[in-house]
Amino acid sequence: MQNKSDVSNLASFALNIAEKLTAKFAEIYFYLSDYLNIDIEENSIKNNEIGSDLGVGIRVINQKGSLGFAYTNRLERKSIEKMVKTAISMMRTGTEDPDFKDLPPKYEVYKTVNGLYDKDIKYLSIEDSILYAEDLIDICDKDDMAISQSGNFSSSYNKTFIFNSNGLSIDSKTTISSVSSHVIVKDKITNDTSFGFESQIERNLNCINGKNVIKTALKNAKRNLNRKKINSIKAPLILTPKGVISFILRPLASAINAETFQYKRSFLVDRRGEYLGPKFLNIEDNALIDGAVGSATFDGEGVPCKNKRVIEKGKFLKSGLLHNSYTAGKEGIESSGNAARDSYSSLPAIGITNMILQSGNSSKDEIIQNVKEGILLDYTGDRPNISTGDFSGLILQGNLIRKGEILDALNETMFGINLLDVFRNIEEISKESKTYGPFQAPFVKIADVQIIGSAS
Amino acid sequence: MKAIKLARKSQSLCKFKFNIKESNPLNKKFKINSIRNLESIDIQDKIEIVKNHEDISSKYSKEIKNTRTVYLDGYFKNLFLNSFGSHIYQDLEVLRLFSAVYAQRKGLIQNAMNSVGGVGGFEIMETEAAQNISLKSAKQAIMLLDAKSPVGGKFNVIMDPKLTGTFIHEAFGHACEADIVLNKESILEDKIGKTVAIEEVNIIDDPTIGQGKKFNLPYELYGSYNVDDEGIPSQKTVIIEDGILRNFLHNIETASRMSIEPNGHGRANSSVAIPQVRMGFTYLEPKDWKLEEMIEDTKSGVLCEDFQYGYTDTTTGNFQFKCKFSYKIENGEKKELMRDVSLSGMTLEVLKRITAIGDKSTFNYSDGICGKGGQGVRVCDGGPFIRIEDITVGGLN
Repeated sequence: MQNKSDVSNLASFALNIAEKLTAKFAEIYFYLSDYLNIDIEENSIKNNEIGSDLGVGIRVINQKGSLGFAYTNRLERKSIEKMVKTAISMMRTGTEDPDFKDLPPKYEVYKTVNGLYDKDIKYLSIEDSILYAEDLIDICDKDDMAISQSGNFSSSYNKTFIFNSNGLSIDSKTTISSVSSHVIVKDKITNDTSFGFESQIERNLNCINGKNVIKTALKNAKRNLNRKKINSIKAPLILTPKGVISFILRPLASAINAETFQYKRSFLVDRRGEYLGPKFLNIEDNALIDGAVGSATFDGEGVPCKNKRVIEKGKFLKSGLLHNSYTAGKEGIESSGNAARDSYSSLPAIGITNMILQSGNSSKDEIIQNVKEGILLDYTGDRPNISTGDFSGLILQGNLIRKGEILDALNETMFGINLLDVFRNIEEISKESKTYGPFQAPFVKIADVQIIGSAS
Repeated sequence: MKAIKLARKSQSLCKFKFNIKESNPLNKKFKINSIRNLESIDIQDKIEIVKNHEDISSKYSKEIKNTRTVYLDGYFKNLFLNSFGSHIYQDLEVLRLFSAVYAQRKGLIQNAMNSVGGVGGFEIMETEAAQNISLKSAKQAIMLLDAKSPVGGKFNVIMDPKLTGTFIHEAFGHACEADIVLNKESILEDKIGKTVAIEEVNIIDDPTIGQGKKFNLPYELYGSYNVDDEGIPSQKTVIIEDGILRNFLHNIETASRMSIEPNGHGRANSSVAIPQVRMGFTYLEPKDWKLEEMIEDTKSGVLCEDFQYGYTDTTTGNFQFKCKFSYKIENGEKKELMRDVSLSGMTLEVLKRITAIGDKSTFNYSDGICGKGGQGVRVCDGGPFIRIEDITVGGLN
């Protein structure tokens, strides 16, 4: 699939068959991924994988909006013809959908986003890949308290081609690399054990730093040792960037997904145009940042990507939803360029690009130092109920803050709050922020959170 | 060539050298005898069933704003060969029906989700559970509109069979998987032969075929299989016997490293994935309490039914589950309905704080997909109603 004209010929072949078989709209999506994975278990190289995933998916829609979808990982004409015919038969037995309007048109201009492809990743050797895993293993070996580690290094080179019956024809090549560490530490005096984790995802291999990743994972694990139970309190919650991502940004990404919204599954339904939080709260989804993990020139349907403001000066904007062409057509607006597609084997869904909670004015140290009694939350394995916004979950990685100092890690401690109250109660946002994959977040202080302790 | 080069290079970095313990070769063909072969059912009939369920749930009430029904089936022909001389052929059909309903009253949105799944053919769709699934989801979503937010604190909690199963799977079962134990992530490391629960507790993992009839089902349980994905026959494994930890769950690698026999728990979600140690049908054995007796015997507590999801830090045993329906219990009586109740505790403490285990009549199970290590595999878990004292209940108030 390296040759664009070959792909283009196959696309024309498939689109012609679809048209002859009465599909009014047709879109064909080619995807190639060359990948490499190195897994660490028990702080030792465990599984390795080098592979290539190549395939093509087609969606066809008739004049009544009935949809058919099929895919194959065989790129010869016979298989492609079978795939198109399968999709057509699905279309004929499918359900009419008057909400479907059209596939994206042919676009003349796409904005340039640099730094999405790194030839060092494409041509990364096995020997060099293993060096990243060795960094993780060496540092874990040398740490007195570390007793085990699971981790991973992976890289991939991806090519995408999209063609549709409106004349759209676009392609891209991107790279991505990631490193992660999940370490177990043991306090030799108390025999208590704990875990910590950290990860890094980048478009550019030069930015990957396995040593920093394991060091941070170790720091997190040690901060979580010798956990204490506390009494129930109502207190401020200080979210670390990781905490902001898991507790605010990921749920918000689901809540502003236009499909969730249109199906009335979001707690933000009927709240467009309302002030949700303080004037210094700004959240955007920006696809146009050079070199960022979530950046792209076009989305999973070939629509140009852009920068979208979601919450501006505390106000949830009427234009703050993430759309693909279907949900946008339903509302009679243009797609926001958020059609998400990880593979040729699935229909376009909706996803974020780079979701950013913008930094504030306070320093993170000042925020913590001014807390008389509160909780530092780094990670909860839980998630809010997107329909209601209610959250009631366990603090898996968190500490007590007293008189401005981060103290004991918390054991069997839960907290409960509705996400609307989370936004309302944001008191401070730090200057410092951190990027994890497609998310960027600072430290955030939320006032008056119900903490449920388990001390008698 | 790239793969060989990678394997050679990484072999030199692998610290754990061990010999795979050879097992007897198995030469056998397995076939699940379904009544209505999935391949013979027209796609139109499958689509009609989905449309019918959508119709039932969406018309149940004006307060129902959105519905979703998903039908999934698959027929598999697996050929397994290994260097021990095994030659195993399996013919398998799997079906799952999923229903989600969203209801809204003013600003409040509630949802209910249910699924029915099994190893077998289209006859699964003819069971009462499958036929009533959309109505059940619709009724539950409407019911939850009247539920109150929970009050946090410590309570005596009665768990229903589905929640008991989730607790056994999430909070305890994963810690029994020998790969987790070897990676020093389990609270059960060095606990074989030791008391980890009250004497009445017996926990089993039994993924063998043939258990569907125990539940009067015309198909096999969703988490069951004939042979695991390393060619080892599925078998009943006693994990806890009379409160004492007896066995971990093993694949060939972990069994070889711990110098014992593998017990048929090496499972992969496809032919391109590496088998991991996985559960099949994990359950707590029933004892002698009636549910009514349990409630009457509880002055103040919460009765929790069904689960939304759960997770556990296997390193510490700190777990949390989100329940679907929860009722306050006051002076031995079931009272108002609460929503989104979460329960938290420490696994090894909680296993010793069980104060009542229900009888056979309360025993049931649920099915689902467990996603350990990014590989989704079919599982079941279950048990009777149980009561546990001093569980932390999370709430917004």
